[in-house]
Amino acid sequence: MSTLLEVSGVSVSFDGFKAINNLTFQIGEAEMRAVIGPNGAGKTTFMDIVTGKTRPDEGHVLWGEKSQSLLSMSESQIAQAGVGRKFQRPTVFEDQTVAENLMLALKKKRGPLAVLGFRASGADQKRVVELAEEIGLSAALDRKSGELSHGQKQWLEIGMLLAQEPKLLLVDEPAAGMTPAEREHTTEILVEAAKTRAVVVVEHDMEFVRRLNCKVTVLHEGSVLAEGSIDHVTSDEAVIEVYLGR
Amino acid sequence: MSVFRHLFVAALSLAATLAALSVSAQQVDAPIQRLLQDHGEVIAKSSRRTIGPAIDALAASGLDEAQTVLERWRDKEMWLNEETGLFVYAEEIDRRTIRTFDFATGEALGEFEDKAYKQLKPNSGIRGLINAALVRFQLTDPNPAARRAALNAIERDADETHLAALRAVVEAEDNPNIAARMARLERLLTIQFDKDEAQRIAAIESFSGDLSVEVRAALNPLVVTKLDVDTTVPEDADVVRTLTPGSEALSVDAAYGLLVSRELAVERISRDAQKAALIANIDGDRVGGIQVASLDTEASRDLAYAELVRLGAVEPAATDAEVSEVLEQFVFFERYSAVPPEIALAAQAVLTGIENKVAVNQTIDLGLDALSLASIYFLAAIGLAITFGVMGVINMAHGEFIMMGAYTGYVVQLFVPDYTLSILLAIPLAFIVTFGAGVAMERLVIRWLYHRPLETLLATFGISIALQQLAKNIFGTQARPLTAPGWLDGSLVFNDIVSISYIRIAIFVLALLFLALFLIVMNRTRLGLEVRAVTQNPRMAASMGINPDRINMLTFGFGSGIAGIAGVAIGLYAKVTSEMGSDYIVQSFMTVVVGGVGNIWGTLLGATMVGTLQKGIEWLNPSNTLAAQTYMILFIILFIQFRPKGIIALKGRAAEA
Amino acid sequence: MTDTTLAPARQPIVKRYPVVLVFLGCLALFTLGITVLSEGFGIGVISTSFIKTLGKTLCLCLVALAMDLVWGYCGILSLGHMAFFGIGGYAIGMWLMYARTEIIVVQSLAAAPLPPTAQEISDGIATQIFGVVGASEFPPIWAFAHSLPLQLAAVVLVPGLLALVFGWLAFRSRVTGVYLSILTQAMTLALALYLFQNDSGLRGNNGLSGLQNLPGLGHVPQSTVSIWFFWASALALGLGFVLCTWVVSGKFGSVIRAIRDDESRVRFLGYPVEAYKLFVFTLTAVIAAIAGALYYPQAGIINPAEIAPIASIYLAVWVAIGGRGRLYGAVIGAAFVSLLSTYFTGGQAPDINLGFYTIQWVNWWTVLLGLSFVVVTLFAPKGLGGLFDLIAARTSPNRHGADLGPDVGALREKEAEK
Repeated sequence: MSTLLEVSGVSVSFDGFKAINNLTFQIGEAEMRAVIGPNGAGKTTFMDIVTGKTRPDEGHVLWGEKSQSLLSMSESQIAQAGVGRKFQRPTVFEDQTVAENLMLALKKKRGPLAVLGFRASGADQKRVVELAEEIGLSAALDRKSGELSHGQKQWLEIGMLLAQEPKLLLVDEPAAGMTPAEREHTTEILVEAAKTRAVVVVEHDMEFVRRLNCKVTVLHEGSVLAEGSIDHVTSDEAVIEVYLGR
Repeated sequence: MSVFRHLFVAALSLAATLAALSVSAQQVDAPIQRLLQDHGEVIAKSSRRTIGPAIDALAASGLDEAQTVLERWRDKEMWLNEETGLFVYAEEIDRRTIRTFDFATGEALGEFEDKAYKQLKPNSGIRGLINAALVRFQLTDPNPAARRAALNAIERDADETHLAALRAVVEAEDNPNIAARMARLERLLTIQFDKDEAQRIAAIESFSGDLSVEVRAALNPLVVTKLDVDTTVPEDADVVRTLTPGSEALSVDAAYGLLVSRELAVERISRDAQKAALIANIDGDRVGGIQVASLDTEASRDLAYAELVRLGAVEPAATDAEVSEVLEQFVFFERYSAVPPEIALAAQAVLTGIENKVAVNQTIDLGLDALSLASIYFLAAIGLAITFGVMGVINMAHGEFIMMGAYTGYVVQLFVPDYTLSILLAIPLAFIVTFGAGVAMERLVIRWLYHRPLETLLATFGISIALQQLAKNIFGTQARPLTAPGWLDGSLVFNDIVSISYIRIAIFVLALLFLALFLIVMNRTRLGLEVRAVTQNPRMAASMGINPDRINMLTFGFGSGIAGIAGVAIGLYAKVTSEMGSDYIVQSFMTVVVGGVGNIWGTLLGATMVGTLQKGIEWLNPSNTLAAQTYMILFIILFIQFRPKGIIALKGRAAEA
Repeated sequence: MTDTTLAPARQPIVKRYPVVLVFLGCLALFTLGITVLSEGFGIGVISTSFIKTLGKTLCLCLVALAMDLVWGYCGILSLGHMAFFGIGGYAIGMWLMYARTEIIVVQSLAAAPLPPTAQEISDGIATQIFGVVGASEFPPIWAFAHSLPLQLAAVVLVPGLLALVFGWLAFRSRVTGVYLSILTQAMTLALALYLFQNDSGLRGNNGLSGLQNLPGLGHVPQSTVSIWFFWASALALGLGFVLCTWVVSGKFGSVIRAIRDDESRVRFLGYPVEAYKLFVFTLTAVIAAIAGALYYPQAGIINPAEIAPIASIYLAVWVAIGGRGRLYGAVIGAAFVSLLSTYFTGGQAPDINLGFYTIQWVNWWTVLLGLSFVVVTLFAPKGLGGLFDLIAARTSPNRHGADLGPDVGALREKEAEK
């Protein structure tokens, strides 16, 4: 399995506070990974660095087979290269319909002139309908996404993420605020996605992580504390000490 | 009968003569009268051009009475007896009669009809000369004030004779201040009038590094140059520099003009003169054989003119090519024209030294100016630093709060005539008024728009427009004065170049006070703590028993109140108009943005930068303050490119909050 | 059911957006009506000066369209679009003034015994134009003033380039929100201050004047010229409306509205946000400039005060009052407020005598406008355009319940639960 994303020796500090400290992380092309850690462990900052929102003070972030450096690319270039991100709070465009949201995310040319001349083809519309089915929003295609419930917005965002057809999905607390049934559904979508691409899930909920049944990376104070199966890390002394213990 | 009558007349005239003698007889041979007689003709003629020697002779005579003569003459009280040719001074008793006095004794000579006398009425030019001559007498006046006045008179209008006069008295002067002034003046006059070169050079060099204006005024005429031309540059010592025609210092026209005036070249004809010559020689529809209708290019006109020259109808004139050809044969240079080169060189050396020192001092003065402008911007911006920087609320009506404060000051002065008292009253009143306005605005408008910055911007714009027009409706469009108390008049003078007005110092001090006030309120008081809590996390603060509504209201009021006080300060320095707010609003926002939002030190740095920048650009292009503002804004736009978050930027999560 | 949103296909824009048809119909009727009532081509009920006012209002509607596109749709509150408007006016004004002065100078020189040289004509024109600022030579920026095509190109290129450079600098460094507004205001102020100088080359605070006289058409009466410009303005507004509708429809509109609502999210979807903003900013700057180029020949005079930041603020006011985020709202707002302003500040409105004080509208209109702006922002964020929603609401299900989401104007709870 070849490496898709390689983060090595990355550090970043805000006004003297080291949010990420010599972090090293790797993920393969079709792999599911859960990242856990207490508050302030640097999970969100880690995502910010990969997606280009935050520039690290030092270290490398390499991408894909050609080992391209992501550090010299802008957020949109990174997204176009195949990194999709789902935020902690669902962020969909509430003023626009579900269909418009999905159409926006569909993998197409992103330049302004190309978009200006864009007219959705039959295939594009079919793909949107398919995606809506996958996330259970078929009946809501024409509704403004602002009208959706919290859980539906979460799914819509996951749907948009899938529409982007990214090679790497970064998912921040996907199950927050969901009912057990919705969680079940979310898990299914993520596991399905991980069959064809890399998925990194940041999550607090240990039960949810257990259900994902994948390798787990534990972050603490900006660096990797432990890595392995869920059972392995939950029995790790250091992890119990900082995170699970008490 | 007739014999008797004759006798009677004779007796009467004898009596009259006797009576006159008994009053006083004029001393015809007194030295002063003799002197006057020597120059009698010139004095009687009273012409500005010829009178000089007479006045000089009087002044140099050393006679005590000479001062009286000069003063009476100046005051149009000197009369000439046209029968005897003697000079007297007199006072008019009525329109026909005068009482005369002798210059030599000062005694009255009697009353006479003025028919025989001619009053001397020197014109203003002559009076000026007389005054200058009188100075010499005043220099030895026992009253120090009179001696100072004499020195002032010499400084205003010096001439060669004063030099000798000064030298004569400088040793004897016992008042050290006056002695120092005399010595300095003596050296200045030496530079101007002394015949001895070594003396002059010594005097010039003694002023090395002196910043005063009069030294530069005395030296500058010595280094005056004159344009000269020759085929090669002469080796003379007085050649200053060579010039190339067509350069900035010497235009082609000026260079060629010099050649023409030296008769080294033929005159060039201007296009207008050429046209006039052509028109004068129109023959039917042709000029010099060329169709008039085709003379719509310069080339064809040149051709026609050349043809006219060939026909002898007009004078030859140089073409552009000939001009440059002739110019190449000569070199142009400047030489010192006023004084011998040794003196000019010495003066130039001293002047260069002075100019360097002046430049340094001007930089210091500019620095002071920039500092005071910075403190004004800081004052204008500090309220914004609170509302925008701390609360994140953009208040476009901030400038109008400044205006409100200034008008409050103006209204207070309408009721309280004492300026010191009125300013002391105006400051707290302005704070109260704008605090109230700020609280009202926060309650009525702003609080509905938190987290919708663009709409806040627009709503406050609306308020700004309304307030500005309201002020216009109430106070009219003309500027209203806000007068500073008398003790703020004048300037703190360091030397002839560096000075700063007390009002600017006061504004600077006020800015420092506000900085201290802000720091104390924000860091040392309960209110500051609560403000910081609410701005960082209103919900958390609310759950700890802080009322965010109240805090927001107070913070906004505080920021607005400070704008009001700034308004009073700015009103003292500039005029109060309804538009004064908008004059400062962009700069204020620039100050906050450049400095970095949310940090008072950033605002301070921002104000310093904006102020220094504006003064710096104004100095580079002093004639054009509009351009200075244009370039400053452009610079700031560029600056924000490189530091979008300002000089002092918050980083990380705090920056995104 | 997916038809409404996804159906786009290859239908002409007027079919997909009936509002375009309605708008163009109204505009055509209006133009026709005014033409019939005009002095130049009709029965002469409406005075020429009022035709000019109406023509100018159409130009203001066009610049308001541009403002709505950049602010209402893309979320950039630009306080610089009236500067672009002014630059357009200056660009066309330079040619108008040059060409007209040239005719006058050539005429006066024709009487001279010798035919004038090119230099003499040029000097004569320069003296005529720049005498008021004490200059008699053409500044370099007048190099193309003799040519109508080049100056017409300048109408588009100069503001376009300025917007491109300024926008590139500002967007590149991620200046957004109020910062961007202040920055655009600063740009406008800098430009106005520059033009106020006598040595700016554009006659300082005298500005350019006599623009209502078309060179070579001195024999055509103003009543006819005014109708020509009225038609041109109406045509430009119609085309502008179609163009703007085309831009905001479809996926491009979807992207820029998304940028308005959540810029960084769009970035993470892979869209080069800066390029979109730059495109919209530049496009609208060009539209504004074209509007200005049509406006100032009708106004007759342009001076730097027209460019001052306050003008751009008023532009934002019009769009806000009309209702941003809908193109016809901008047009309604600009027409309504600018005509009302003309009415009140023109001294036609009767004073109101309160007994103790007489309200003179010339003085109090601005106060009222400023306050109404606050009121609109607070209570009617949808502006006048919101009235259309009220009408539409009668035919659609009731919307009751509390607002959804943090912003006023978000969808209603009941509707969400439907």
